Amino acid sequence: MRIWIKFAKQDLMCYLSHLDLMRTWQRAIRRAALPLVYSQGFNPHPKIAFASALPVGVASTAEYADISFAKGIGAAEMEKLQDALPAGLPVLCWRPVPEGIPPLMSLVRAAAWSVPLPDDVQQIEARVEELLGAASLPVRRQGKKGEKTVDLRPALLRLAVDRPGRRLTMLLLAGADGGAKPREVLELLALPGDGLQRDEILLAAGAYLQAPMAVLLKGKEVSFNAEKDYYQLRQ
Amino acid sequence: MSSYQAYFREKILPRVQKPARYLGNEINAVAKAHEQCSMKVALAFPDLYEIGMSHLGLKILYHIINAVPHWAAERVFMPGSDLEEIMHKEGFPLCSLETVTPLSQFDIVGFTLQYELSYATILRMLKLAGIPLWAFERSEKDPFVAAGGPGAFNPEPLAPFFDFVLLGDAEEAFPEVLRLLEETKALSRRRRLELLSGIRGVYVPAFYREERDEAGVYLGTKPVAPHYPARVKRAVVASLDKAPYPTAFIVPYSDIVHDRMVLELFRGCTRGCRFCQAGVIYRPVRERKKETLLALARKMVRATGYEEMALSSLSTGDYSAITELVNELGVELAKEGVSLSLPSLRLDSFSGELAREVQRLRKSGLTFAPEAGTQRLRDVINKNITEEDLLAAVREAFAAGWTSVKLYFMLGLPTETDEDLHGIAALAGRVMQAYKEAGGRGRPRVTVSVSVFVPKPHTPFQWHGQLPKGEILRRQRLLRQALRLPGVHFQWHGAEMSLLEAALSRGGRELAPVLVRAAELGCKLDSWDDYFRFDLWQQAFAEHGLDLAACAEKSFAESAPLPWDHLDAGVSKKYLLREYRRALRGEVTPDCREGCLGCGMALLLAEEEDKGACTRADLD
Repeated sequence: MRIWIKFAKQDLMCYLSHLDLMRTWQRAIRRAALPLVYSQGFNPHPKIAFASALPVGVASTAEYADISFAKGIGAAEMEKLQDALPAGLPVLCWRPVPEGIPPLMSLVRAAAWSVPLPDDVQQIEARVEELLGAASLPVRRQGKKGEKTVDLRPALLRLAVDRPGRRLTMLLLAGADGGAKPREVLELLALPGDGLQRDEILLAAGAYLQAPMAVLLKGKEVSFNAEKDYYQLRQ
Repeated sequence: MSSYQAYFREKILPRVQKPARYLGNEINAVAKAHEQCSMKVALAFPDLYEIGMSHLGLKILYHIINAVPHWAAERVFMPGSDLEEIMHKEGFPLCSLETVTPLSQFDIVGFTLQYELSYATILRMLKLAGIPLWAFERSEKDPFVAAGGPGAFNPEPLAPFFDFVLLGDAEEAFPEVLRLLEETKALSRRRRLELLSGIRGVYVPAFYREERDEAGVYLGTKPVAPHYPARVKRAVVASLDKAPYPTAFIVPYSDIVHDRMVLELFRGCTRGCRFCQAGVIYRPVRERKKETLLALARKMVRATGYEEMALSSLSTGDYSAITELVNELGVELAKEGVSLSLPSLRLDSFSGELAREVQRLRKSGLTFAPEAGTQRLRDVINKNITEEDLLAAVREAFAAGWTSVKLYFMLGLPTETDEDLHGIAALAGRVMQAYKEAGGRGRPRVTVSVSVFVPKPHTPFQWHGQLPKGEILRRQRLLRQALRLPGVHFQWHGAEMSLLEAALSRGGRELAPVLVRAAELGCKLDSWDDYFRFDLWQQAFAEHGLDLAACAEKSFAESAPLPWDHLDAGVSKKYLLREYRRALRGEVTPDCREGCLGCGMALLLAEEEDKGACTRADLD
């Protein structure tokens, strides 16, 4: 039975690398005595994947695991799994995946991020306006074949200051090609980025961007609305 | 949360590389409120987290101490250089992982002495902790700084830094130490050490001094008062089967060197290889019952969720029910998706059946340790395996589907000649040949790994000096030439690291100020190529009027007192000398399971009731 699990990565757990997180989940699942499905081949490995790697030191309220179990999974099993996971990795919700859905990782298109702001937000608001008004935002990026220049502007789907919450929220296209890294944007805003966190991951669903669990919800669609919010439910 | 914990987590952790090694809240880690604990022990491993967390002894003690509700054991490792620098700059002391408590607030800080190249790191850690280095400088409020592990059988280069040293198995002796210290908190430090020295296995260095004649010739290390034992006897656990063993291993987040469950089948070895210190200091052989092991294994899988289990012992294939155990364990673990690995298999116990069983379970390379290239030299070191044993085992392995084999050898063994080195190359060639005979396709990968022999205390080769550096380098060059064979990969160990190991391994207390100086100069983590600074070590030796090379190369006269003579591992000096002489004559000594050889272990055991397998004492 294949399921997607939404979980948070908070407190000290933000220091786990992607590989550390993988090991931690695999071992938690074995401690919980839940049977995994293994890949066939010379060196079988369990079918566990995460939607998208998170930089070390960054917390998240919306991480996703895509796991295939060798038996049916219900609330009791999920409780056992939660008990086996270290504190700081709480399961938020989970949903069975129907046949035919491609690997979660391959569907990821964008992510929502936020970071707390210092007291003086006015200056940052001005800078945000500047960035949004720019035709292009070239930055230098260290690639495998040396340094290259990439344009961040097309990847900047949304950038806004949440005044009452005193946070900067960002919606950025993901992926090495055409995507933007949250720290690159923060650098353009001259913000240190302490307390950066990921708030949501968005998948491609037709012409829309949708949160993973919404993709699995039949009859409801979530669409991205650049004017209003990151995404909204559409009946 | 203590103020140290809050500062460390909020101000320091976000700035360090590999923060996952400093979190201290791994699955199965134990953090207790110190106000509710009467004894707090910091278990210190003088190397980085990745190395220290791979060590079984630390896990055993952690489990035993934390099983007592009002005792707390926490871990501490050497921090990475970036963190060390931050700690220096901000005056943040070395703290335990679990509760971020400064080491100076523990009752005991216990270091394990696993290898000589970690000794300078111990001093760096004490400095970072703000604990006085020399035992005599410590006051009533300072923790007891202790040591154990194989290095405890000659801790003399470090002896002045330790309040006490525990010789031998710690499962029973260490809790006894804790109980005593717990009950005697009202007494003076000196009085408590006095009482500790009465516990079997406990050595208090301050109660012994090196005696020398007018010319400065060493006469031995003797007790300062007649009521201390002339020789400190090793602690021995009678029944390993009944001894506590951890199943809830701490499960690290980040990758460590040996990231797996470890099942210790037995302790001790009867083979009697003459270079091997472990073969002496862990006698006699004590096995866990197969049923005990299976039960432990089941619990371990549930408690850790690990994907791999290693069977560990000095010579795993010698376990009396090895094939049945591997069969039954293999089947059970396979159901859980857990693989089984068997390091340290001996050639002669690598039967076809076992080979097939192991092959079913894992696909990685196989390692064998012939140790020397000719039969003559293997007879000298009493490695009782023949070339035919090796080739037969290798053929079995190739026939069972292996394509990669690693062979371990030592360079610089007593009596070694160039012919023995050419023998290594010839053997590697015949292993390649065996692959073709076994019908292997293509070419196998044969790795020849050659370390430099380091003479160790309490072995028949303890009198023998190490080769000079120039000669080690010449022999390594010779091997590199001889091993230019297609498909053969040659790995060798640095001559300079081996020299330092040799200098420290058989040294006395004269080396203590050298260690202090080396740590001051910046030496630490010396087993890492990135950190090892031979020039600084030479300087530290020279500043104290000593020559590092001479210390490594020195041979002891058979009649001379040795710096570790006052520490009794159980095997008599007389027996070791007999073995040394037999070695030089090329005479082999059989496995002592075929008949007691009178090594002296039986005498040590006979002093206490019901101790172990050695029952006869026919020492001549």
